[in-house]
Amino acid sequence: MDRSELSVLVRTKIASVMGVAETEVTEQTDLREEYQVDSLELMEIGARLESALGVRIKVDALLEMENVGDAVDALHRLSLERA
Amino acid sequence: MSERGGRRHRVAITGLGLKAPGGLTVDEAMEALLSGKSAAETLPHLVEARSPVTFACRVPDFELSSYLGPREWRQMDRSAVLMAAATADAVRSAGLAETGQEDMGVAVGTGMAGLDVAAEVAPAHVDDPAGMPTYTVLRIMANSAAARVGLRLGAKKSCLTYATACASGATAIGESMEKIRSGELERVVAGGVDSALSPLVLGAFFRVGAVSRRNDDPGAASRPFDRDRDGFVMGEGAAMMVMERWESAEARGATILGEALGYASTSDAHHVVAPVQDGSSAAACMRLALADAGLAPAGIGHVNAHGTATVLNDRAEARGIAACFGDDMPPVTASKGVTGHLVGGAGAFEAVMGLVCAARGLVPPVANLGGGPDADLLDLVTGGPRRIPPAPVLSNSFGFGGHNACLVLAPAAWDRRP
Repeated sequence: MDRSELSVLVRTKIASVMGVAETEVTEQTDLREEYQVDSLELMEIGARLESALGVRIKVDALLEMENVGDAVDALHRLSLERA
Repeated sequence: MSERGGRRHRVAITGLGLKAPGGLTVDEAMEALLSGKSAAETLPHLVEARSPVTFACRVPDFELSSYLGPREWRQMDRSAVLMAAATADAVRSAGLAETGQEDMGVAVGTGMAGLDVAAEVAPAHVDDPAGMPTYTVLRIMANSAAARVGLRLGAKKSCLTYATACASGATAIGESMEKIRSGELERVVAGGVDSALSPLVLGAFFRVGAVSRRNDDPGAASRPFDRDRDGFVMGEGAAMMVMERWESAEARGATILGEALGYASTSDAHHVVAPVQDGSSAAACMRLALADAGLAPAGIGHVNAHGTATVLNDRAEARGIAACFGDDMPPVTASKGVTGHLVGGAGAFEAVMGLVCAARGLVPPVANLGGGPDADLLDLVTGGPRRIPPAPVLSNSFGFGGHNACLVLAPAAWDRRP
């Protein structure tokens, strides 16, 4: 999966948990700032990405990210390491 | 007014809301009851799953977005969603805001909380417990619906969940009424909910012989007090009412729809599911509720029976009503012929609609009722609605476990005779 495909996947999963249209979530979206995301929701996003990508994701790592683009980058690095 | 406790406040009913089979509003539900037609239908997911029972009474689809954002409802189980919507309707109809209700109490009755979620999630994760959805706990916990309602309202007084099986909704209303009478609460939203139309749940009720097996004719399956009844029809739904200290309701200029007059809660201590067959236990609970309301049997305008259409309930209840009322037999109806059995929602739905029927002076007919030895003991309404003068309704609820709850509610237009 290349980075742009991964970006679509991540934004789709986030949008579904946040209950918004996929177009509303961009790589610049800050989930804490714009959606006041809580830890349960972050865990659900993580769980959905884990099952879609077959990787383990640490919630701590998600918490440290500034925006959606950071998450895409991190997952992209993870997939390159595994390849 | 009863002698229990010290100072006793009168309890005004100021708001009603429901999401039930046949009706998403009080008016729709009234129309459905008056039609005397069952809302039961064959459900494709039950057929596909080869459920032993392939029909039930569903709540019609409605626009969730007028109640909840998608982010919220995706975290919630269906019971909590139905409850949130019914509560919003009740609070709106009481002319109250849906947030910032710090002084409000919440009471929810449920007999099967979380069961639908368990039935859905468990089979998919038997070999993968760690893969369960993050929201499983918050959807499965017994107080899920009450917690959501309390959160949404910002209600900071007692927020309680009552479980008396099929009587849960009536128990929640009765116990809340007591909290207003005693002065503990000034305002409360109370009622009940259940939604568990999964093949696993229906299979379990099929196993105890409690549900109708009339797969070939769902519309004729729910037949309270009829000689050919063969069990209840599973339904789902939520109903809530706002109750307030009488003076508080008056002070804020609320429209008072009626008064919660009497409540009794008893247990059979007889058998885990079968009622006492001579009806003595049911009659005792009805008499206590009438006494609590300060009424003689002749003061009741109509009875909304528990009337599940199980052989054992209806026999015991018919004998109980006959024993309680004797020569003062009022007209009797049984909503479950139309709606099926809302389990935890049933007692609340029937209290809400019992009050509406009392206020409008119309007792709906019992669906699918031909007759039979148990029906012969009562003045059951059949064919079409019967007109009655405004007078209090007795709403009966009897749950598995032998738990009984009877409520007496008076419409606003009724005057207590001296």
